[in-house]
Amino acid sequence: MIEILQTGTRITLQDVGRPGHRHEGIPRSGAADKLSFGLANWMVGNDWNTPALECVLGGQHFKFHKDMTIAIAGAEMWAQVNGQNVSNFTAFKVKSGNILTLSFARIGCRAYLAVPGGFQGDDFLGSISTYLPASLGGYKGRALQSRDQLETLDITTTTRSIPKGYAPQFSNHMVFRALEGPEFYDLCLASQRNLFIDPYEATQNTNRMGARLKGNKVVPKEVTNMISSPLLPGTLQCPPDGQPILAMTDGHCTGGYLRTLQIIRVDLWLMGQIKPGSKISFRRSIGDDAFEVLAGRNAFYSSLMDGFSF
Amino acid sequence: MASISEYDIIPYGDSAFLVQFATKVYSETVTNHIHALIHSLQGHDHWEEVVPGYNSLLAYFCPAKFKPYEAKKVLIKALKNPVAASKSVSKTIDIPVCYGGEFGPDMETIMESSGLSQQKIIKLHSEKSYTVCMMGFIPGFTFLSEAPQLLHHARRPTPRTIIPAGSVGIAGWQTGIYGLESPGGWQLIGRTPLNMFDKDRDAPFLVHAGDDVKFVPISPLEYAKIEKRIS
Repeated sequence: MIEILQTGTRITLQDVGRPGHRHEGIPRSGAADKLSFGLANWMVGNDWNTPALECVLGGQHFKFHKDMTIAIAGAEMWAQVNGQNVSNFTAFKVKSGNILTLSFARIGCRAYLAVPGGFQGDDFLGSISTYLPASLGGYKGRALQSRDQLETLDITTTTRSIPKGYAPQFSNHMVFRALEGPEFYDLCLASQRNLFIDPYEATQNTNRMGARLKGNKVVPKEVTNMISSPLLPGTLQCPPDGQPILAMTDGHCTGGYLRTLQIIRVDLWLMGQIKPGSKISFRRSIGDDAFEVLAGRNAFYSSLMDGFSF
Repeated sequence: MASISEYDIIPYGDSAFLVQFATKVYSETVTNHIHALIHSLQGHDHWEEVVPGYNSLLAYFCPAKFKPYEAKKVLIKALKNPVAASKSVSKTIDIPVCYGGEFGPDMETIMESSGLSQQKIIKLHSEKSYTVCMMGFIPGFTFLSEAPQLLHHARRPTPRTIIPAGSVGIAGWQTGIYGLESPGGWQLIGRTPLNMFDKDRDAPFLVHAGDDVKFVPISPLEYAKIEKRIS
């Protein structure tokens, strides 16, 4: 059993989400950084899509009430067990009574804590992913609180280290490859260019639903009222004030703002590492290239994690 | 007259296509066509998400199973020959609504702009049935077909930070129901005691895109009774 001593900024239980329900207003949700989530699971010998804890920005303290193997992946948060540094790239053993502390996210935003066999949560539409706006899934539909106790399974596991080349490198200046969104050409020419020039900065209004950015204003050629239309994670929307909003994993299923850019699928996982203050640049991608890159990265990571795809 | 043959298929990222119909106003023909399309595409398991809009449709595919040009081919074929949803699939659902007062704080705004009495507004809003055009932006939010023209009204200039679940509102020509408590800018004219979305119910969603709904005016007393019965 694991006890939460301090929740830090936030801890939620996540898996790979509940696809196929956007037409009912239910976003997919799931781990915001799918890659780090998968790697944490792989290190303790789980299937990559096993439920794990998503820890935001650090400040989390956990107490273990039995001996077990655990792994942490994602944002570097100066993790320590009873004051001894532990690695983000290898699974390790903890003893009953040990305390794990995550300090603060030096680079990136989210770290994943995986245990053998994963965690139990409330199922909704086939997923235990926590979606806070509707209190779905997770631990009683909410974020974890201090003194919550999570049961863990007694199963023996291998203790793995991420092989060289598979661990993502994070930076507080992130570059996303993007294609033109459906309304990209409704922007004035200067805005079309500006989106790809200076970096934007994520504001305090940054969470699993989206990141409000500040930077060069994005202005349409003419102001029109858009009719509400479907919206995807990774879409850069342009509201009337000209400061773009990047939709994330819990983002709205439909929206009424111009959809200016769409981050390519293979880069979506990195959105989970955006925190307030992160610098964000967009690089233009080409449809066919995006497809090739995706196929290559899926093959690369599924050779490590069986069945993994971005 | 909006045409179902006037549309563009626009790539939306590397894993989705958006079918954008040319109509800029509400069109029953286009809405029915979109719902028939959704019905025929949902039978194809290579789509991860198929999402209706008022005048658009999103088809999100899994690139591991489906190359973009193959996805587009399936989409074009469906657009030419959608399998119409059989009438028995769609149903008309009565939604009891208590209009005005604390349940509809913007009723007076609509009375002013329309020049109509509250009674007349209630009659106009509840005498026709509406099609559920789309769901979202959050679970249970129900976007309905066009409200009677006299009731059309722009959104509030400053959105409210909290709107109670079940609130019935107007935004431009649209009318709809807030499924969950959320912020929002629609003009609120009433509220239903029903839960549009309840994760613990066997059928979590009260309505689905393609259904018809009809509002049934109720008194505050009846509202309280229904609310008590279902809680």
